[in-house]
Amino acid sequence: MGLAMAIAFAQGGAAVGVMGRSIERAEEGASKIAALGVPVHATSCDVRDPDQITQAFNATEAAIGPVSLLANNAGANFPVLTENMSMNAWNAVTRIAIDGTFLCSAEFARRREKAGRGGAIINNSAQYIWTGFPGDAHSAAAKTAQATMTRKLAEDWAPLGIRVNAVAAGFFPHESSTSGNGAEAISPLQNMIPAGRTGQTYEFGWLSALLCSPLMEGLTGQVILQDGGESLRRSLMMPDFVPPREREDGPWGWK
Amino acid sequence: MTGWLDGKTVQLIGEDPAIAAALEEAGAILVQEGESDCLVHIARAPAPKLAHHITHGEWRAAMHAGLDDRFEAAKLFNEAARSAQRGGAILFVGTPEQQAGADQAAAAGALGNLTKSIAVEWARDGVRVNTILTNENGPALGRMAAYLLSDYAAYVTGAVMGIGLND
Repeated sequence: MGLAMAIAFAQGGAAVGVMGRSIERAEEGASKIAALGVPVHATSCDVRDPDQITQAFNATEAAIGPVSLLANNAGANFPVLTENMSMNAWNAVTRIAIDGTFLCSAEFARRREKAGRGGAIINNSAQYIWTGFPGDAHSAAAKTAQATMTRKLAEDWAPLGIRVNAVAAGFFPHESSTSGNGAEAISPLQNMIPAGRTGQTYEFGWLSALLCSPLMEGLTGQVILQDGGESLRRSLMMPDFVPPREREDGPWGWK
Repeated sequence: MTGWLDGKTVQLIGEDPAIAAALEEAGAILVQEGESDCLVHIARAPAPKLAHHITHGEWRAAMHAGLDDRFEAAKLFNEAARSAQRGGAILFVGTPEQQAGADQAAAAGALGNLTKSIAVEWARDGVRVNTILTNENGPALGRMAAYLLSDYAAYVTGAVMGIGLND
């Protein structure tokens, strides 16, 4: 999902700094973006560590210039019943998304304030932030925090000229998504979605880049739903409730 | 509401005089620790600061009190309730999402969706989970808390609500 965002920014002409937990993955992504002909830089960074974030911003700005747009994508997710969720699992998922989004955004905002220039931030949230996500409570909490902090960050940073928005993304199959990218895994999911298909990652990238572009000057504090209607299905037409504990073999199970 | 919570034990984490008074008035026995029929976790937001002035330490403290500590308490409560094969009720109380700093916006948003997620996971165990986000601290808050813990609210789970117009 982050790569899709980065490619869309590059298609719009932006120089792109890729920050990833693993430098190998970051460089792999950077080489795909460089193929589009824009300046690219890759650096490793654990977004839970403010010192690493400062260093990563320093390295990126030294290589490709001041960062004026920020896309927060770092996240982890795996299905698990809350009763089987260790505090380590809870902390890993919530802190990468919640603390990571906050710490990177705050570093960005302080730099923009110092430079006397505005900017824009886009956060990668999810379509299940209003409904809960039984069987995935850590991600349910983390993704909602990203959306609700989006609104407050937008308010706090409006005087700095920084816009902050989020995309509540539905299911966009990609290499590392939990249900995989195979046709067998995707077809039952397509049947659940009013639009009749899962999303294409480039659609997510395009919306994310658009929200950061000058075309959307004036738009801030918003969470835009992009899920093919998945979260708006009529509950009266849903099948019987299956308790999360009894669906470990399902498409979002943990077996 | 006399007798609504007769004989029920309530573990109360955090402080709110209106809630404590209303629960006792409804017949609840407040306990500090150990097994109980209900869990109430109260944590108000810290004084708001602009987001880029919040330190990492301040952010972590707010997330711990407003989210992580509540998750752990709910998980422990549910484990005890399940192993004893009895139901129970969990209530989280805090500050409205957009009425303090970015730390509270994140913690309260996360808490609301956590409430909805675990309410569904534990619904058929008879464990209910609800959240009140409000700046009010009067009798209406206490009475709503007492109602949500009582068996009159047996069909209320996964609800995230306020008390007054400003919530």
